[in-house]
Amino acid sequence: MTIMTTPGPIRRPFLSAEAFLRPETTLILVILAIGVATALRNPNFLNVGNLTDIGRAAVIYFVMGCGASLLMIGGGLDFSVGSVFTLGGIAAAWLMQIAGVPWPLAIIGGLVVGVIAGYINSQVIARLHVPPIIATLGTYFIFTGLCVQITGGQDIVPLPVGFQYIGQGSLLGVPFVVIYAIVIGLIFWFVLERTPFGVEIRAVGGNRKAALANGLKVARLEMALYVVGGATAALAGIIYTARVGSGQVAAGGANVTLSVVTAVLIGGISLLGGLGSITGVAVGAILLSEIDNALVIAAVPPQYNTIVVGVILIAAVAIDHIRRERLYRIRR
Amino acid sequence: MIVPSQTAKSVPAPSGTPSLELVAIGKSFGQVHALTRVDFAAFPGEVHFIVGDNGAGKSTTLKILAGIYQPDSGELRINGTQTIMRDPSEAHLQGIAVVHQDLALVECLDIATNMALGAIPRRGRFLLDRARMESDAAKVLADLKIRVGSVRTQIGLLSGGERQIIAIARAVRMNRPIILLDEPTAALGVRETGHVGEILEELRNQGKTVICISHDLEFVFTHAERITVMRLGNTVATRLRNETSRDEIVGMITGSIVAAKEGVQ
Repeated sequence: MTIMTTPGPIRRPFLSAEAFLRPETTLILVILAIGVATALRNPNFLNVGNLTDIGRAAVIYFVMGCGASLLMIGGGLDFSVGSVFTLGGIAAAWLMQIAGVPWPLAIIGGLVVGVIAGYINSQVIARLHVPPIIATLGTYFIFTGLCVQITGGQDIVPLPVGFQYIGQGSLLGVPFVVIYAIVIGLIFWFVLERTPFGVEIRAVGGNRKAALANGLKVARLEMALYVVGGATAALAGIIYTARVGSGQVAAGGANVTLSVVTAVLIGGISLLGGLGSITGVAVGAILLSEIDNALVIAAVPPQYNTIVVGVILIAAVAIDHIRRERLYRIRR
Repeated sequence: MIVPSQTAKSVPAPSGTPSLELVAIGKSFGQVHALTRVDFAAFPGEVHFIVGDNGAGKSTTLKILAGIYQPDSGELRINGTQTIMRDPSEAHLQGIAVVHQDLALVECLDIATNMALGAIPRRGRFLLDRARMESDAAKVLADLKIRVGSVRTQIGLLSGGERQIIAIARAVRMNRPIILLDEPTAALGVRETGHVGEILEELRNQGKTVICISHDLEFVFTHAERITVMRLGNTVATRLRNETSRDEIVGMITGSIVAAKEGVQ
């Protein structure tokens, strides 16, 4: 029997006709268009300092987005990241400032808190059979309450100078935080594209029943994804805490959750699971951060910010669904 | 050691130990008794069909053999040893490969990846060996005379029949001694059905145990060594293809021939 189909290579050449059909390419064009439009209104947009600011703000979305996108590609969803972000930062700040733990150990402590938070999410979903969206919404509120409980509602200051330096320093003009993001991005890209684990994430997200029937350890994999999602949220919170130099009770919240989910979705990660790439998340994070910045620089009233983000989000997800329908014969 | 099958009177069972055997298997879902008593034995080097009407319990039986369901009562034996399989990965370890009716393919992954799922080739401990994954898939497809444009084609791009044949190729690639197929020709045309039949016979010639559920009696009578009929959650009888007729099989499927299960009290 002959199977006649056009070959759809996974590893596409960097520059090809297909490259222009990738969601990332469209987004890069959008980023450039917004950049040009803003620069025309206010040339300061293109200052090195301003561009660095955009990068620095994108880091937070991107680091959290790495874990969140892996989870979403695996078919999960985590709405608690905004509070885990705060919790991780506060836990680290509390450990170094109030408990007197050396700051490098306090960082590890903050990460452990993120890991535990992710583990709790996975167990609520797996053992109590609560859908991910509800389970993580519930833990979002719980973790938010814990942050206030730990701090009594007060920001934790001052933090050790060494700790602040890792968030504020730079190397040859490139902020440390941007370097962290690049390293983390490379690690996540590698895991997703070059390891059996990455393949299994896509398999579970793409068709969970098929993954189960093929003998994949689905429960273990999903647990790992929530843990990784919690860890990256806490890591982003710690990076943020170092950057601003205080453990802030109001650092994260619903806004951060929604921004991360938005960045990931804009970046072409499919809410239906299976599809998406880390480069997409990077582009999505930069686009969100650019819009934040551009509207301020161009003195556009803030309500336009949210309107623009909303429109881009809906467009991105609509395009994802159309792409799937075009790509696949829907068989249900 | 249990005599391979209580239907031994009507069927001179192939000699030796069955590679896969179900003894008095029962399975309920709440109030529904999907299986009341299933006795079944399959041997290396045979194509053994399970036939029966809708609701006879064929798919439930296959899911027990695949490790998806666990029986409430009775014994499952592999090569004569009682075995408990808690999930599909244990069935895989026990030497069982499965082609599911819903095919269990991941649409957003390509052919090579789908064929490797559950046993992804690695370089070292942590690295994906994509080159080997693709060459393995291409080799299996070539051996089975399945021509594909590229093993990098996403499953979502294939037609129902193409998916079916890929699902079978995947089970072949697993290279397990026992292969289970649930309605492998459901989505296929005449020529593709013939091709699947050839693949089944090739697997039998390699000494594998091939167990296949099918509604297509034409297909069953062309390729079967033995046929087990199920009805209302029971195995009615097992017959050698050469010693039975379509009328008898159809009669047992519909219940008009009650014969069967000699020796069962």
